Amino acid sequence: MKFKANLTDHGVNLLEKRFLPALDKMGKICHLYLTRDHFFFLHNLLNGDGIQSIAQFKKEALFEDYRISSQNEDRIAFAIDLSLLHRALRSIITVYAEFSSHGVGGVVSNQIQIRLVKKLPAHSQQPTPFLTFETKGYKSAVIQDVPISKPLSRADMAELQAALDTAQEMPRTLVKVRDMNQLEQFVDRMKHVGDVMNVSISKYGDLHLQISTTLITLGAEFRKLLVLGEQAEVPRGEGNLSAQTRTQRAIQRGDAMIVQVSVKHFFKSLQCHLAKPDCAFYGITSQGACLTVIFQFFVPGTRQTDKSISLHCRLPVLDPGSN
Amino acid sequence: MSSSAIDADGDALDLVCQLDNVQGIVDALTSVRWKRHQDAVVELSEHGIVLIVEESSCLQAKVYLQKELFVKYEYSAEGRPRFGVSLGLFVDCLNTFSVPGNSNSIEIRYPGPDMQLLLKSVDSLDACIYAEVRTRIPDTISWDYNFEPAGSTPLHFTVKSAALKEAIDDLEWPGSSIQITLQPNPPCVTFRGEGHGDLQIDFMYYANTDLLIAFSCDRQISYRYKYKFLRATTANIPGSVIRDNRGSKLTIGRGGMLKVQHLVSVAKPPVSHSHVDYAGYQQPSRIAYIEFFVKPEVDDNTVSD
Repeated sequence: MKFKANLTDHGVNLLEKRFLPALDKMGKICHLYLTRDHFFFLHNLLNGDGIQSIAQFKKEALFEDYRISSQNEDRIAFAIDLSLLHRALRSIITVYAEFSSHGVGGVVSNQIQIRLVKKLPAHSQQPTPFLTFETKGYKSAVIQDVPISKPLSRADMAELQAALDTAQEMPRTLVKVRDMNQLEQFVDRMKHVGDVMNVSISKYGDLHLQISTTLITLGAEFRKLLVLGEQAEVPRGEGNLSAQTRTQRAIQRGDAMIVQVSVKHFFKSLQCHLAKPDCAFYGITSQGACLTVIFQFFVPGTRQTDKSISLHCRLPVLDPGSN
Repeated sequence: MSSSAIDADGDALDLVCQLDNVQGIVDALTSVRWKRHQDAVVELSEHGIVLIVEESSCLQAKVYLQKELFVKYEYSAEGRPRFGVSLGLFVDCLNTFSVPGNSNSIEIRYPGPDMQLLLKSVDSLDACIYAEVRTRIPDTISWDYNFEPAGSTPLHFTVKSAALKEAIDDLEWPGSSIQITLQPNPPCVTFRGEGHGDLQIDFMYYANTDLLIAFSCDRQISYRYKYKFLRATTANIPGSVIRDNRGSKLTIGRGGMLKVQHLVSVAKPPVSHSHVDYAGYQQPSRIAYIEFFVKPEVDDNTVSD
């Protein structure tokens, strides 16, 4: 089982400034899953109740000179502590930047190398696996070892791959969030009022969030959002109805779906804006199995989707509800 | 009665009002939120809305939201409807309406079909926030404050809110009981805490007229108040209001009852290109009044009148 690659400057920037801060909010521990072509950060795919997040990079988006081999179709997966990974990367970058700033970079090429190693830690007889970063500074070199779990067994890996395949299911209707920061601030305030949120999404482009307890009902409806996938015409003459009534009618007509999710999970999903996506879309998968949020990234300076990066989250549904 | 004061079933509503600065109301109500779970009584009248909270029959706070604070205020009830709400929930709920970038204008209606308080954002295109807050039959207020003057000359002083808050915060260290003394000659207000140690803070009228803005007292008077109640009168005022740094007026009434009054601006947030008024000027009608009443501690050492 071998893995070795060099992080590109673009890859360093993507991870350190954008994805690691966002993914850290999803949970401290995640699985890194490496294949011949892709590099994944996976949260909660093997244990059911948390928010699932799937960040996928084509190897070229992060690395050059990417080499991987294993007896399991050149796939490797292990668990890692994201905060340790983030700290190690930050420390490596400081030294790396020092090298570049002295202008010697042009003469001798410098790299941040990342690889899997087994080492004997002090006071131990048992070799332990690490993800190791290595680079040179102006006068020094630095190695950061990030401890990782034992690589996943063939059976666990199969389970992880199956979970990943399931997680790729797309909702039929997706609505585009107009202003993620505003929605985040709004949900941040809303979460003081209750723990469970009803989320309904209609084919007319309505996103309706509601927290309802015995003491209070607090909701927000965002209308006329951009719809991807199945859409429907807004019924005439419903403009003056309350948000609740409109949503109820849309559900009865089969034009909307509603699910209950944890407010905490919903808030976490919004914190993915730290990865600086260009747009976010919410949708409910068939039979209300989960609430999905898909983030879209553009190729810098264009309105074209950057297909080498993808990020989406799946929020577990608390109560399958009546639909 | 205008058509908007009637609900969908044709029943008249007691109150329909609109507000263009939710944040101001959030600030005012936050000032009297001294603990997490707090029941409040709301009283509606033709003059405005009053919210009352109290604790242990020793501390009461009132927030006066006069009708002039509202862009629209349509009151059509008989008598003065009163209802109870959870203050924390009400403030958290209002706070949701004041997300930057949103219109910050809301409509409040009472009662809903199930006696709820109904709130709804207005004027925002394609986005609507709404809330229904359940109300209760109000508890009777366990003590009613007939705040009466202590004599022919009123005993009061006005001090910058930030200085008052700072003084009370500093008095946390000595302990549970704080003595407030007013004396006419030289005109001076003294806060004294005794406990683990003792700490005395003097506001001298002539020494610093910027700090102690007004002073009225014809004889020495002194009462003790529980620290935690005194603290509740300033501790929760939001930083933005403290930075406005208006004066807070403290009056001692008959029997040593302390009245603390604060002013909170509920002005519409300034539009960026508007001309600059002279410093601190606010229309008097865009101010929410907050009053705290604190009962003195009864002990033998009280030097009264």
